[in-house]
Amino acid sequence: MRTSNVNYLVKKGVSSVWKNFIMSFASFSILLVSLLQISITVLVMMNLNIIMGNIEDTNEITIYVREGATKEDIEHIHSVLKNNNEITDVKYYSKEEALEDFKNDMAEYAGLLDYLEENPMPETFLARVSDLRNIRGVVEQISSINAVEQVKAPYDFAGALVNIRNTFTVIIVAILLVLTIVSVVIVSNTIRTSVFARRNEITIMKYVGATNGFIKLPFFVEGCFVGVLAGAAAWGLTWFIYDSIFSLFTDNLTLWEMFGFFDLIPFGNVSWIVLLSCCLAGAALGTAGTMISMGKYLKV
Amino acid sequence: MVEMKNVNVHYASGIDALVNVNLRINDGEFVFIVGESGAGKSTLMKLMMRELMPSSGRVFVNGYNLEKLKGNRIAKFRRSIGLVFQDFRLIQDYTVYENVAFVLRIADQSNRYIRQRVPYVLNLMEMAGKAKHKTRELSGGEQQRVAIARALANDPGLLIVDEPTGNLDPEKSYKLVGLLKEINRCGTTVVMITHEHDLVRYFGGRIINIDKGEITFDETIGGNDEDQ
Repeated sequence: MRTSNVNYLVKKGVSSVWKNFIMSFASFSILLVSLLQISITVLVMMNLNIIMGNIEDTNEITIYVREGATKEDIEHIHSVLKNNNEITDVKYYSKEEALEDFKNDMAEYAGLLDYLEENPMPETFLARVSDLRNIRGVVEQISSINAVEQVKAPYDFAGALVNIRNTFTVIIVAILLVLTIVSVVIVSNTIRTSVFARRNEITIMKYVGATNGFIKLPFFVEGCFVGVLAGAAAWGLTWFIYDSIFSLFTDNLTLWEMFGFFDLIPFGNVSWIVLLSCCLAGAALGTAGTMISMGKYLKV
Repeated sequence: MVEMKNVNVHYASGIDALVNVNLRINDGEFVFIVGESGAGKSTLMKLMMRELMPSSGRVFVNGYNLEKLKGNRIAKFRRSIGLVFQDFRLIQDYTVYENVAFVLRIADQSNRYIRQRVPYVLNLMEMAGKAKHKTRELSGGEQQRVAIARALANDPGLLIVDEPTGNLDPEKSYKLVGLLKEINRCGTTVVMITHEHDLVRYFGGRIINIDKGEITFDETIGGNDEDQ
């Protein structure tokens, strides 16, 4: 098709948005509500991931070194831990440092420890695992080192966290799926009403030799344009709602810090991604709705 | 050229709309298809524009075997014919100019060609002065002329006109058929479906009469307009 005719059809599609203002506004409103729900759900999921990550980060495994281990043994353990991709942070505590820490923790009884003839504290490594789902594998690998006496890991806590995260993911993916399907169905029904009002126009076009592509293009542009407008509006509303909630948390930081809420994502950091996603999702939903609702009227 | 071989159309309601129709309309002919309401004239038109498929038999129009047309080839076929409907079927929100121009866009013509062709066909139909009017603002006769201008825009070899005088007064009806005769003299095959026998007798030419789905008469008669 010539560029001039494509331009004509695109202009026709955009002008139809204003010509059929009431139906366009109905589609716009439904898309706006759907996209708003979707974008807020995605942001909630992103923040939950960060919160879960924060909780996971406080979670450490402790590696006790066997009594009498040589300097080479310590270095070997250290290098194994450093080279393990699952471990994000490693700290080494010598016997002296371990005792000092213990004294600090038991400050009231610190004097009693002075009576000890030799330091009973083992040399220790503290390590953080990046993904709690892999904690068992990491522990097994470290336990197999000869110079390692014992590895302590909070399996129950890790398991619970993994379960919570998996459950959240399933729930949120299900919500997104349902919202998307419901949006497409409602939008396609709204657009169907608009297409129905113009069924004569479509039929006439078919009679005078228009291809399905020629007929669909303006409707496609119309659906897509309304979707992008709804996406942009959803982005603005998401920003407003998110910022209101965000300031609620940041104003009461100490309370929410307990739950790892101190690292919520500021909207400014994801603003462009949210705008792009909303507009793309809006365009996709608007277009899908239009295409679904047109098929029946093209069979002439 | 239109050719129908042993065509039968049987509707699901049990009605036999066409029974063993055989006809051939050669290029350059002017043919009246006449018959009472419900005789099968509209079914014949639907067959010729590939809106309907025969229950049995074969239909050829402009070299296309309509039985074998699928998808976008149907659109391409329809661009090779000009259709004028009894109820005009103009897009009411479009201007006269847009109604004619959009069939040229469908045929993927350039802007330059559209700017030349649309005023030409509107002028031919004496509608150039109303190019910027919305079609809903026009009278029945004016809409009919816009519909013919639209049908002629792509310079079709075959023009099928369904009851074009149904909404016109007698004077305008005669004028319109005169215009169609003129178009026919320029080389376009014209098939006009009508139930107005007076009009047909006046103009004469090849007349095909359909009664209860069957062709009962297919002959050429002389008309009064030939004397003019």
